[in-house]
Amino acid sequence: MAELLQFVITGIAVGMVYALIALGFVLVWKSSGVANLALGQIVLLSSWITYAALVQMGLTIWIGFLVVIIFAVFLGWIIERVFLRPLIAQPILSLITVTLGLAYFIQGIVVFLWPVSVAALPRMFPVEPIRIGPAVVSQQYLWAAAISLFLFIVLSLFFRFSRMGIAMRATADDQRAVQACGIPVTRIFTLSWIFACVLAAVGGVLMSSIGGVTFGLVETGLKSFSVVILGGLDSLLGAIIGGPIIGLAENLGDGYLSRIIGWAGIKEIIPFFIIIIVMFIKPYGLFGEERVERI
Amino acid sequence: MDLPAGTRNYRYADDMAIFRTRTQKVLLALLFILLFTAPLWMNRTWLGVANLIGITIIAATGLNILTGYCGQLSIGHAGFIAVGAYTSAVLTARLGMPFIAGLLGSGIIAGLVGMVFGIPSLRVKGFYLAISTIAAFFIIIWVITHWDSMTGGYMGMSVPQASLGPISFKSEESQFFLIMGVTVLTIFFAKNLARTRVGRAFVAIRDNDLAAEVMGVNLFRYKLTAFFIGCFLAGIAGSLRAHYTGFLSHEFFTLTDSILFVGIIIIGGLGTTLGPILGVVFIRLLDQILTHQLVPFIEGTKVLPAGFASGIAPMVFGLAIILFLILEPHGLAHRWQLFKASYRLWPFSY
Repeated sequence: MAELLQFVITGIAVGMVYALIALGFVLVWKSSGVANLALGQIVLLSSWITYAALVQMGLTIWIGFLVVIIFAVFLGWIIERVFLRPLIAQPILSLITVTLGLAYFIQGIVVFLWPVSVAALPRMFPVEPIRIGPAVVSQQYLWAAAISLFLFIVLSLFFRFSRMGIAMRATADDQRAVQACGIPVTRIFTLSWIFACVLAAVGGVLMSSIGGVTFGLVETGLKSFSVVILGGLDSLLGAIIGGPIIGLAENLGDGYLSRIIGWAGIKEIIPFFIIIIVMFIKPYGLFGEERVERI
Repeated sequence: MDLPAGTRNYRYADDMAIFRTRTQKVLLALLFILLFTAPLWMNRTWLGVANLIGITIIAATGLNILTGYCGQLSIGHAGFIAVGAYTSAVLTARLGMPFIAGLLGSGIIAGLVGMVFGIPSLRVKGFYLAISTIAAFFIIIWVITHWDSMTGGYMGMSVPQASLGPISFKSEESQFFLIMGVTVLTIFFAKNLARTRVGRAFVAIRDNDLAAEVMGVNLFRYKLTAFFIGCFLAGIAGSLRAHYTGFLSHEFFTLTDSILFVGIIIIGGLGTTLGPILGVVFIRLLDQILTHQLVPFIEGTKVLPAGFASGIAPMVFGLAIILFLILEPHGLAHRWQLFKASYRLWPFSY
């Protein structure tokens, strides 16, 4: 029982970080219709920047974190302005492959600048495990979950009350109508990319503070695709609910399947199995809008 | 068709001919002579590069049929190549079958696996399909690394030399003839496929799948056919790759390779037979220049940390993909067409 509770808590906590990263994807998809497949690499790059700021330059945690956020803002701006602005209104195939090229490019930069490929971040959260009922959970996970939850709340307040947030929701709803109202759509594209990169950076810092900076972070980004697919591509709520589900499935699968059936490492592909299953049963996800096409 | 002035088609056969004029036929013959005497005038290193180019062309042609003609984006191509490679290795090394059975078997198995993962394409497209092919890639690699008794798991497995009857392809030169032979057949097949009913159905699906269905194209059948053919060629390429290196490891097949394949057909030109060839040659030559010219030069200057070199190629390839998408989305094949047209009409281009 204690074990089950432990898996559930860890799973939900990790899943919330996935949800955080997935949220960035959904924002970009809703506002500009671009599928950002470079998400995993952005997570990786911002984790390495964190490493550079905290370890190589020796900044304190708060200043280092600020540097990372500023970098992420800058990265989002560059990506949208340089790589995606020229491709507005191009076919979906180009929009997907340009982010693939970006993924490749960023991965090259990471290997180029940090050939060591594995590093550890300094400790940010206290590591002493705490007891919740019978379960013993590492405190890091709870901190990660708390920070994710805090960001969810901030974001939903932003979308509900801020002028820009409302404009972003309106753009997601109907791009042409928004343009007619005089809202600068391109600025909203830029803003959504900046949001996506900042969320990916925060997710990357949280994940790498737990597991270290490795290439596994790319897969963290890829796993957040399964969150998006499960929740529905165009649903923010779907991402927030889908994240913990994926995290739970991953951790429970790891805890029980790998021990009972003896499939080691099944954890790595459970999210991908979920993608395939969702594709077969309900391709538009739990909360996604089913699109009816006309010729 | 851009035929020289004064050339007219009087018979149906003339109209259908791929190589219509005598000049074209002579040039083709020259190309073949140049290609198949390559072991005489190329050194070992470049022959190795040529072999790799041949294998990659086969795989890229498969992806081009799937993505370029039929419009179904697949980012799991390296996974299907891996299926082919391991099938061939298992058939020849574990079951003792001849090479030809391994080659065909790997194509068929990879094609069938591709069809299974292609089933979602009937309901979804674009990004959804891209993601499900990524998922397919990871599942395939996971199965390969965990099915120890068959594939050797993380340790990898060794593969016997390819042989056809009494001929065994041991040396780099003999490998070259095998690989180039299959490559030429593949290109011939792809060129002709595009002109058949199937190929035209693919193009119709790419341009607008609903309209195609209304016109009577059976989406279910043709999309799965595209997946089968695309992954069949991937499997063939995988089999050749396995017998070429003589050793297999799951590390040969990475997600970045899959991305590179998409990049190759973008750079070459989607939906053209020439595209994959130009794309592969471009990428491989760029790779050679980077790793053999640029890297030693930078290493000499000792500015960057050791081991940076493996990052250069992805950086440049990624940038190349992005730049081609922004500046020349029709790819090198389109440039080549423009060049041919301007050459033909020069100096009176009006």
